[in-house]
Amino acid sequence: MALLEVEGLRTYFKTQEGTLKAVDGVDFTLEKGHAMGLAGESGCGKTTAALSIMKLLPANGYIAGGKINFMGQDMARVTGEKLRAIRWRDISIVFQGAMNALNPVKRVGEQIAEPILLHEDVDKEVANKRVKELFELVGLNPNRVREYPHEFSGGMRQRVMIAMALACKPRLVIADEPTTALDVMIQAQILELMKTLQRELELAMIIISHDLSVLAETCETLCIMYAGKIVERADSVEVFRNPQHPYTQGLIAAFPNVKGERTMPGAIAGNPPNMIAVKPGCRFADRCSLTKDICLNEEPPLIEVLPNHYAACHVVKPR
Amino acid sequence: MAKDIISVKDLRVWFQVRRGFIESILSEEQKFVKAVDGVTFTIKEREIFCLVGESGCGKTTTGKAILRLVEPTGGEVAYFGPGKEDMMKEMVDVALAKDNIDEDQAERIMERGGISIRALNKKRMKSMRQKLQIIFQDPYESLNPKQSIYDIVAEPLVVNGIGANEAEREERVTKALNDAGLRPPKNFMWRYPHEVSGGQRQRVGVAGALVLDPDFLVADEPVSMLDVSIRSEILKLMLDLREHKGLSFLFITHDLGVAYVFSDRIAVMYLGKIVEMGPTERVIKNSQHPYTKALISVVPTPDPKDREDKIILKGERPDPSDVPPGCRFHPRCPSVMDICRSEEPKSVFVSPGHSVSCHLLTMQ
Ligand SMILES: Nc1ncnc2c1ncn2[C@@H]1O[C@H](COP(=O)(O)OP(=O)(O)OP(=O)(O)O)[C@@H](O)[C@H]1O
Ligand SMILES: Nc1ncnc2c1ncn2[C@@H]1O[C@H](COP(=O)(O)OP(=O)(O)OP(=O)(O)O)[C@@H](O)[C@H]1O
Ligand code: SF4
Ligand code: SF4
Ligand SMILES: [Mg+2]
Ligand SMILES: [Mg+2]
Repeated sequence: MALLEVEGLRTYFKTQEGTLKAVDGVDFTLEKGHAMGLAGESGCGKTTAALSIMKLLPANGYIAGGKINFMGQDMARVTGEKLRAIRWRDISIVFQGAMNALNPVKRVGEQIAEPILLHEDVDKEVANKRVKELFELVGLNPNRVREYPHEFSGGMRQRVMIAMALACKPRLVIADEPTTALDVMIQAQILELMKTLQRELELAMIIISHDLSVLAETCETLCIMYAGKIVERADSVEVFRNPQHPYTQGLIAAFPNVKGERTMPGAIAGNPPNMIAVKPGCRFADRCSLTKDICLNEEPPLIEVLPNHYAACHVVKPR
Repeated sequence: MAKDIISVKDLRVWFQVRRGFIESILSEEQKFVKAVDGVTFTIKEREIFCLVGESGCGKTTTGKAILRLVEPTGGEVAYFGPGKEDMMKEMVDVALAKDNIDEDQAERIMERGGISIRALNKKRMKSMRQKLQIIFQDPYESLNPKQSIYDIVAEPLVVNGIGANEAEREERVTKALNDAGLRPPKNFMWRYPHEVSGGQRQRVGVAGALVLDPDFLVADEPVSMLDVSIRSEILKLMLDLREHKGLSFLFITHDLGVAYVFSDRIAVMYLGKIVEMGPTERVIKNSQHPYTKALISVVPTPDPKDREDKIILKGERPDPSDVPPGCRFHPRCPSVMDICRSEEPKSVFVSPGHSVSCHLLTMQ
């Protein structure tokens, strides 16, 4: 059985202007110990999808439909004690931008010990010992557990966040834009750390990024999201070598590659659609160069177009 | 051959480290953050010159020092671009009138010299600023959310007292918005920053820099905050400005991919100094400095084949208030030798226009 099965997930926000359909029918499965990447433009619903799995939506957000099957439990429905037993212990998350949200007046070690004390029946001594082990695990000097966040650089604070996510030995870690604010060398260090942890702890991971090549380096499979839906899903190498959806093709062409040809990257003209008043048909239609009549009326379903390679586009036929 | 527009020589920007009271009693020695510590380069007319390097290596400070938005501690910045003659003539005339120089000297200055930006007084610096503009690093922080786009773009005109009346100013703002690709301008002018997309917000920053009709632009990470899908749109806009308005650029980025496809020349900075500089293709495809090689090797790439020989450096951004002796990269260098710990390497040319500062290249 897969560790996580997400089926037809819909997550909406109530807003002044109406219902914003941030996630609007998302399906994927994640096996134990595997890493999956979630990519797409700003606002396409990546963070919302992650927060739905964790059941940590803001007050105006709600799961409007679908299943989130995690180790035999439907996360969309569990509440109370049961939810608490899973959240942080079995699934944890490194929030987007969280490395800048550490409590500035609390020692870093104490902040990591908090979830351990909260979720496990252990005393302070055991927790502190675990914190030191976690420091070691993420490549921080255990002698620094008593320091404050401002004494750590950006890259070190991101390591702290990862340590915190690992505190209760979860099976699944969601990392939301884990390297976005970091520069290229620190990014490489953090990605290396994540790969090592995944291998050594047999962790499953969902990594969210708008940078496809970051995901290609860390994940076995890749989901491309557009306007609340997954438009393509396949093995990462396959997505890059053989992208099927016009949006994926556009995204890949927009990436300058230092290791490739020196050509000006392409742009995808236009903006993502308004997710409050979603028009019928394909959501990418007004930015797509292949749009046909059917695209304006019928929403394309995500189908298997090549072995283990899924795409949602009327023009891409199964082969 | 293209003419120079900006020449920077041995530029230094040191910030004083603030000390506590006790510390200042105990130690005589004043410590400095050596943000820029001896940087030399020239930028040609219509050139896109790119500064790359890790966070904190001094890229932004270099850009700001050229425009004197921070005052340099030492070194020279000279301007050779359009309008130089008139400004020089005016200054030479003043000097002649005061008998500070003779006719011969005046002629020689007019022939060879650029305008020394550091030597300009306040009034002249103000008119120089119109030729030299900056697009700031963060489009979210640098635009005042309470000002309309019109007011944001018109502000430099107001500050510099340009435009006889509102109608004239509106004409210039309209033109700048149009040049920045916010078309038709009247659809954007009266909106506020939060009412446009991220890419459009960055274009507002560009329009604000264009409204004074500059010849040289410092573009500080202009695309880093943007989605890839709109990144190339902004890059193409800058290529367009070079093509049609003859602009030259100091382009600052930590994204080597962007630098690679977009710039004519690249300078790689490490801890306040340029360690490698040359034509883009050479620096990327035939890099010689161990730091450049490491930087390029860690850029994430989709092709697993390209990931085989990553050089991941240990440690984080080095501390510019405590610069190591010898080669400043030596504590992190995978090829460090004895000499590197004590002697600073000199910059040598490895091919025309391609210079590198590393002992490996001078050893035989
Ligand atoms: N609390 C909220 N109330 C209303 N709308 C929201 C809320 N949170 C997010 N949204 C909207 O939901 C959509 C999806 O947002 P989400 O944060 O999931 O995007 P994302 O893909 O993570 O983007 P980014 O790459 O910028 O982090 C966006 O249109 C966003 O404006
Ligand atoms: N006003 C200041 N006072 C003291 N130190 C400063 C000041 N401005 C910059 N610095 C320091 O100078 C160094 C270089 O900063 P700079 O902003 O130029 O780096 P950068 O290369 O632009 O980095 P980034 O990629 O993060 O923008 C840093 O160590 C910074 O902390
Ligand atoms: S369904 Fe039509 S509009 Fe949508 S991506 Fe495919 S071709 Fe383009
Ligand atoms: S001079 Fe020495 S330490 Fe510096 S980059 Fe060259 S080999 Fe490395
Ligand atoms: Mg997000
Ligand atoms: Mg900077």
